Amino acid sequence: MRGKVSRRTIFAFIGPAVIGLAMVGIAPLLYALWTSLHFFNLTKLKKVKFIGFENYWTVLTDEVFWQAMGRTMFLLGTALPLQLALGLGIALVLHQPGLTLIKTLARLSLVLPMATTYAVVGLLGQVMFNQKFGVVNQLMGGANINWIGDPENAFVMIVFWDVWQWTPFVALVLLAGLTMVPGEIEEAARLETTSKWTVLRYVQLPFLIPGLVAVLILRTADTLKLFDMVFTLTRGGPGSSTEFISLMIQRVGFRGFDQGLASAQAIILLIITIILAQIYIRVFYKEVN
Amino acid sequence: MAAARTQSPLWGQIALLIVIIAVCVFPFYWMVTTSLKTHVVALEAPPVWIFEPTLANYREALFEDGVLRTLINSLVIAICTTGLALVLGVPAAFALARFEFRGKKDLWFWFITNRMVSPIVLALPFFLIARNLGLLDKHVTLILIYLTFNLPIVIWIVTDQFRGIPYDLDEAARLEGASQFRIMRSICLPLAMPGVAVSAIFSFIFSWNELMFGLILTRTDAKTAPAMAVSFMEGYNLPYGKIMATSTLIVIPVLIFALLASKQLVRGLTMGAVK
Amino acid sequence: MNFRKLMASTAMAATMATTAVADGHGWSLKEAAAPYAGTTVDVVFLLRPGYEAIEAMLPAFEEETGIKINIIKHPYENALGEQVRDFVAGGDLDIALIDLVWIGNFAENDWILPLADVQAKFPDAVDPDLDIDDFFPLVLNAFGGWNETLYGLPFDNYSGLMFYNSCMLKEAGFDGPPETWQQLKDEYGPALTKDGKYAFALQSKRNETQSADSFARVLWPFGGSFLNDEFKSNLLSEESQAGLQFRQDLMQYMPDGIVAYDHAETVNGFAQGDIAMITEWSAFYSTVVSPETSTVADCVEIAPEPMGPAGRKPALGGFSLAVAAQADDAEQAAAYLFIQWATSKANAREYLERGGVPARQSVYVEDGLEDFKFVPALVESWQDGVPEFRPRFAEWPEITEIVQEWGTKMMLGEVTTVEGAEEIGTRMEAVLEEAGYYSGEKPMAQ
Repeated sequence: MRGKVSRRTIFAFIGPAVIGLAMVGIAPLLYALWTSLHFFNLTKLKKVKFIGFENYWTVLTDEVFWQAMGRTMFLLGTALPLQLALGLGIALVLHQPGLTLIKTLARLSLVLPMATTYAVVGLLGQVMFNQKFGVVNQLMGGANINWIGDPENAFVMIVFWDVWQWTPFVALVLLAGLTMVPGEIEEAARLETTSKWTVLRYVQLPFLIPGLVAVLILRTADTLKLFDMVFTLTRGGPGSSTEFISLMIQRVGFRGFDQGLASAQAIILLIITIILAQIYIRVFYKEVN
Repeated sequence: MAAARTQSPLWGQIALLIVIIAVCVFPFYWMVTTSLKTHVVALEAPPVWIFEPTLANYREALFEDGVLRTLINSLVIAICTTGLALVLGVPAAFALARFEFRGKKDLWFWFITNRMVSPIVLALPFFLIARNLGLLDKHVTLILIYLTFNLPIVIWIVTDQFRGIPYDLDEAARLEGASQFRIMRSICLPLAMPGVAVSAIFSFIFSWNELMFGLILTRTDAKTAPAMAVSFMEGYNLPYGKIMATSTLIVIPVLIFALLASKQLVRGLTMGAVK
Repeated sequence: MNFRKLMASTAMAATMATTAVADGHGWSLKEAAAPYAGTTVDVVFLLRPGYEAIEAMLPAFEEETGIKINIIKHPYENALGEQVRDFVAGGDLDIALIDLVWIGNFAENDWILPLADVQAKFPDAVDPDLDIDDFFPLVLNAFGGWNETLYGLPFDNYSGLMFYNSCMLKEAGFDGPPETWQQLKDEYGPALTKDGKYAFALQSKRNETQSADSFARVLWPFGGSFLNDEFKSNLLSEESQAGLQFRQDLMQYMPDGIVAYDHAETVNGFAQGDIAMITEWSAFYSTVVSPETSTVADCVEIAPEPMGPAGRKPALGGFSLAVAAQADDAEQAAAYLFIQWATSKANAREYLERGGVPARQSVYVEDGLEDFKFVPALVESWQDGVPEFRPRFAEWPEITEIVQEWGTKMMLGEVTTVEGAEEIGTRMEAVLEEAGYYSGEKPMAQ
C-alpha cells in the first residue's frame, strides 16, 4: 500500500532534479566523451578531427598520468590514516565528561578548518611555510627548512594542510558516533573492564562504523578532486612532487590546451571514481533502503 | 565507575584541548595579522609578532582591485544555487524516501555519485558548451554548474531525513484525501526542516569556497572571490599582505556563518555521514 | 632574416596610409580619434611595472580621445589561458597582449590582424610620426612579427641582464662582473657562496620561468638549441648537453630549492643582499634600486649577461599589442589608436621614467639617462639576439609544459640531463609531428 503512486506523481517530484542534474552533469560528460575521441586543441580548432581511441591509448600508456594517479593514492594513504587516528583521539577526548566550556570551545574551533576556502588554505600555506619569513620555521626554533622548494618537504606540507583541514571533520563525525552509544551499555562495559581499548573495540566501534565508511567515501572522492589548495600552494611542484591527478588534467587541458587528451584523462578518472564509489557504497552501505 | 572515568588526569586533558584549539585557530590568527602588515613588514625574517597595524591592504583590495564586487558575486551565486538546489532537491528526496519505483536505487546512486566527480571532468566541456550558448562570465552559469555538487548533498541529507519520519502521519493525511505534494509540504517538510537547513548550510559553504569553475567560467562580471584571491599571484611580486587581506575577506564571513550554524553543521555530519 | 621584407611591407603600408592623410593639415590624435569617442577597448594587462607605467599615463589618452580603455588584470601564468578562452569564445577582447612565444598561436588562429591591414582599413588613424624603423629591429621582429607579417607593436619589452651586487663582489676581490658563464661558476661561485649567501640564483620555478629563464638561458650560450634544422630535438647534441650540465654544476652556488624560485623570490634574495648576482629581466631595475624594496640599492650594477662558448646569447622576452580580429570596426580603430599611442616615440621617455621599458631606439640616445643604469646593457643586448630563444610557433604552449616538467626534474636530480633531454625530445617531436611539420604540411618556422 505504502509508496504506491502514479508515474506522473513520481515524475513531478523527481523529474526536475533529474533534468537539472542531467543538464549540468550529463550533457558536459557526453561532450567530453565526444572531445576525447577527437584531436581537439583549443588553439587549433581548425584541425579538429576524429582519431578514435588514440587519446585513451596515450593516457593509458603515459607514465606521467599513472605517476600522478599513484601520487594521489599515496596522499590518500598517508593523510587518511593520520586523520583517522587524530580524529578518533580528539573524538575520545571530547567524549569524556566534564570541562564543558573548553570542550565547547574546542568543538567550535573544529568547525573552522572545514569551512575555510580551500584556495585560501594554500595561500596561507605559502605565507606560513616560507623558508625565510615563514612562521612555521620560526616556531620550530628557527629551523631553516625549505618546505616549498624541496620535493619531499612539499609533499609533507600538503599532507599537513590536508590533515589540518579534514581531521576536524573526522573527529566530529566520530564524536557523533560515540554519542549514539547508549549510556547504559557503555557504563555496564566500564564496570566489566578497565581497559579503554576493550570498550572502544567491542562497545563503541560498532557505532563508529557507519561514520568511518562515510569518511572513507568522502575523503577518497575529495582526494581525487583535490585541486584548489595545491594549486595555490605549490602548483604541483617542485618538479612533479605534488602534481595530483586533478592538477595534471587541468594543466593538460587549460595550459597545454589539448582538450581532447585532457577529456580522455578526465573520463578515465571518472571511471576510476565510479568504480571506487560503487565498491564503497555497495559493500559498506548495504543498509540503504 | 567514577574511577575509570577520571583516569586521565584533568590537566592533561586541558592541555590537549588547548593544543587542539590552538592548531585550529592559529592559521587564522596568522592570516589576519599578516593582512595588517605592510609589504616590508610582511617580508621580515624572522617574522615579527608585534608591529604597527595598517588597513592599507584592505583599502587597496576592496576599493582599488575590486574584491568587493567579487564578494558580492560569490554571495549572490551561493545563495541562488543553494535555493535552486533546495527547490529541485527536496521533492526528489521526498520521492526517493517515500515512493516505490523501479531503478530507485540506481537513481539514488547516480545522484550521490555526482558529488564525487572531479570538477575538472566537467569544467572542460562545460566551458565549451557555455561558450556556444554565450553563457561565459555569467552568474547563472555558475549557479547551474554548482548544482552538480549541491544537489547531491541536498538529496543525500534530506532523503535520510524524510526516511526518519513515521509513515503513519502520511497515511492519516492520505485517508483525508491530501495530495502527495500536500503531504510533503504540510506534514513532512516541517519535520524535515533540520535536514533541509543542514543541507542548505553545506551547499552554501561549498559554493562560496569553490575555485575551479569560478576560475574557468568567469572573467570579470561574474568573477568570484576565490578566483580573485588567486589572481594576485604574479610571479613578479607577491603582495602577501594584500593576498592575506583578500583571504581574510573571503574566509571571515563563511567562518562566522559556520560558527553560527555549527550545531546544524555537526548534526549534518551525523545525518549525512553516520546514518 | 626575414624582417627586412617584413619591414618593407609595413613601411609601404604605413607610407600609403600616411599619404592618404598627409595633404591638408597635420595629424592629431584628437581628430583621428573623434569618430571613435565613447568606444570602450578591452585589453588584458599583467601586474608588472610596464603596465603600471602605462596605466598611470592613461588618463591623458582617455581625455584626449574619449576612448575608454578597460583593463583586465591577470597574473602572467593565467594571461594566455584567459586570452585563448576569450578568443575561442568570440569574447570581448579588442587587443591581444602577446608574449613573443604566443605570436605563432595568435597569428595562425587569425585572432589578430596584420598591422598593415588595420592601417589600410583606418588610414586616418595612422600617425605619420609612427616611424616603425625606430623600433629595435630584433624586438619588433621577435615580439610583433610572424611569418613575414607584422601584427603587433612591442610594448612591454625585456632583455635578460646581469644584476650584480658590486659591494659583495668587491669584498670578495672582484673588480667587475664575470665575462663568461664559466668564470661565474669557477671563480665567482666558490668565492661568493659562504655564510648563508650565494653567488648566483637562476629562477627556475616550474612555469614559463623554467623554460624561459632557466632552461633556454643555459642552452643558447653553449651553442645548444631546442630544435635542429629538421625541426627534430637538438637537446641531445653535445652543446645542448654541455649547457644543461653546466646548470646542474652551477646549482651548488645557488640557494636550496631554486626550482621553487620565481622572479619574486630571486629578486627579493638579491635585493636583501643574500645573492650576489642574478640574471633577470630589465623590468626589475626599479625594484632593485628602490630603497623601499631593496637594502642594496647603492650597490646595484648592471652588465650584459655573461658569454658562453657560443657567445653572448641573452634571454629575450616581451610583449606586443595587436588589434583583435573579433572586435568591431570602431573598437579596432580605437584599439589601434591606443597601441600606436602607447608605443609611440613621443611617449617613450615618459614611459621609461615611469618604470616601463620602451623598444624605441631614439629614446636611448637622449640625454639624462644616467639614472637608468640598465640602458647600455639593454641596448647592447638588443643589437643582436636569438629571436627563437624560445621557439615562437603555435605549439609552444604544449612544448613549454614538457620543458617545465622535465627541466625541473633534471634540476632535482630525478633524471639525468640525458634522460630528461630524451623525454623532452620524444614528447616535443610527437607534438610537432601532430602539428604537421614533418609531413611538410606546415612550414618550419619558429
